[in-house]
Amino acid sequence: MKKTILPFALLALSTLAIADSQWVLQQCTLTYHVSHPLHQSEGVSHAARGKGVCHAGQCDFLIAVPVKSFDSGDSNRDIHMVQVTRGAEFPMVVVRTRLPESDATSATINADLEIQFAGQTAQYKQVPFKLVTQGGETHLTGTIPATLADFKIDPPSLLTMPVKNDIPVRVEMTWRPQ
Amino acid sequence: MLRKIFRNQLSAVPPGLVFVYLFVAWAPSLMAQTAAMGALTGKVTDPSGAVVANVTVTATSADNSQTRSTATGTDGTFKLDGLPAGNYRVKFEAAGFKTVELPSATVNGTETAVLDTKLEIGEVGNAIPVNKPTAASEENLPNAPSSSTTPPSLQDLGFPAEQSQGNAQEQALLDKRTHMLKIHQRLGLITTIPLIATVATSLNAGGKSTSTTSRDLHTALGAVTGDLYFMSAYYAIRAPRVPGTETRGPIRFHKAMAWIHGPGMILTPILGAIAFEQKSKGEKVHGIAAAHGPVAIVTAGAFGAALLSVSVKF
Repeated sequence: MKKTILPFALLALSTLAIADSQWVLQQCTLTYHVSHPLHQSEGVSHAARGKGVCHAGQCDFLIAVPVKSFDSGDSNRDIHMVQVTRGAEFPMVVVRTRLPESDATSATINADLEIQFAGQTAQYKQVPFKLVTQGGETHLTGTIPATLADFKIDPPSLLTMPVKNDIPVRVEMTWRPQ
Repeated sequence: MLRKIFRNQLSAVPPGLVFVYLFVAWAPSLMAQTAAMGALTGKVTDPSGAVVANVTVTATSADNSQTRSTATGTDGTFKLDGLPAGNYRVKFEAAGFKTVELPSATVNGTETAVLDTKLEIGEVGNAIPVNKPTAASEENLPNAPSSSTTPPSLQDLGFPAEQSQGNAQEQALLDKRTHMLKIHQRLGLITTIPLIATVATSLNAGGKSTSTTSRDLHTALGAVTGDLYFMSAYYAIRAPRVPGTETRGPIRFHKAMAWIHGPGMILTPILGAIAFEQKSKGEKVHGIAAAHGPVAIVTAGAFGAALLSVSVKF
């Protein structure tokens, strides 16, 4: 009888061990980089919000940022960016990913990202991020190799010269468990 | 002669030294290439989760457009190894399934990138880009939120409605603004050609020994410049304003310059007309008309500065 109960008891304990938990995005800096033959410009946003829900050892993360929150230091460029990315019609950039809960203790992770932007959805596989856990917070840095073509955005041009297709987005985030 | 000198110098070098030089020169790049090789691997399944064999997997380098292909085995797995580090566009094609394209997969020299992919039933060769207008593709993602949990939603993040809801009218306004400013920009660029020509012909139009032809040419070019300028200005002035936007950056300088070249473009032809009349009467340009030249130079300078302020980063 005892032998029969033991596996069930262990199963119950392991279920308790992988109880639901949540993560909250504490701080975030997203920086996109655009290259033009005459300009190199960057737009920065600190307005992202995010949440992670963990269950059975897997965590679903959602991060969203308003398109209009990116600031390149030039209001005309920012308005034009919102126009070409259809930011008024699709005002949010939404990123979804699912990671094993155990990854929180790793030094690096490779995340599969699904990004909704400009009315399109693109997937980026195995995007590498560095993780540093300090004082209960997890700092995460990496670069998403986004391109304009991934989201069917026509490259904007200045003086009839279009910008390059690559728009890498640098990500710096701080998460804390809730 | 140069060829002869080069041939003589090469012949003076022992062949062994040439090999040493080539080895030293190429070794670091060869080592770097070897060190930066990576692989893509993964398993392809159908909507029921069953593995799919004979799926053609093609990786195209984003750097040099070189492609590598392989096919999945009977266990649905594939491996593309020996790939130089970088980003790849990966395509999955199989008879009876819709083609799936992943826009970007990163290969690095230290770890193997895993691309587990689920194919949708479809017609042969019916390509579907991964880009879709909605998040309906969640089910296709191997790492998509599972149905057993409640994944976070956009509502959970607490963005105000005015920030997170789309506005088609505002988009239409932005589209119109961009369209008008593009015309403004192109006309402004075109205006520089007759503007430079007008300034250049002014040298022959204003001196003591000027001919009527020189003055007529200068006047005609000035008129073309003025027409193009005011057409360009119209599109900038009439472009819709975006409410709640504070002007920041180089565009402030660009707009400030308009307060100089705008009045200048009105004043220059008026003063020019007076000067033209005085010259036609055989008089020396005098009075207020004498300011035509300096005003024109300041106007052209402000126009050039306005153009440069949005073209070159200072």
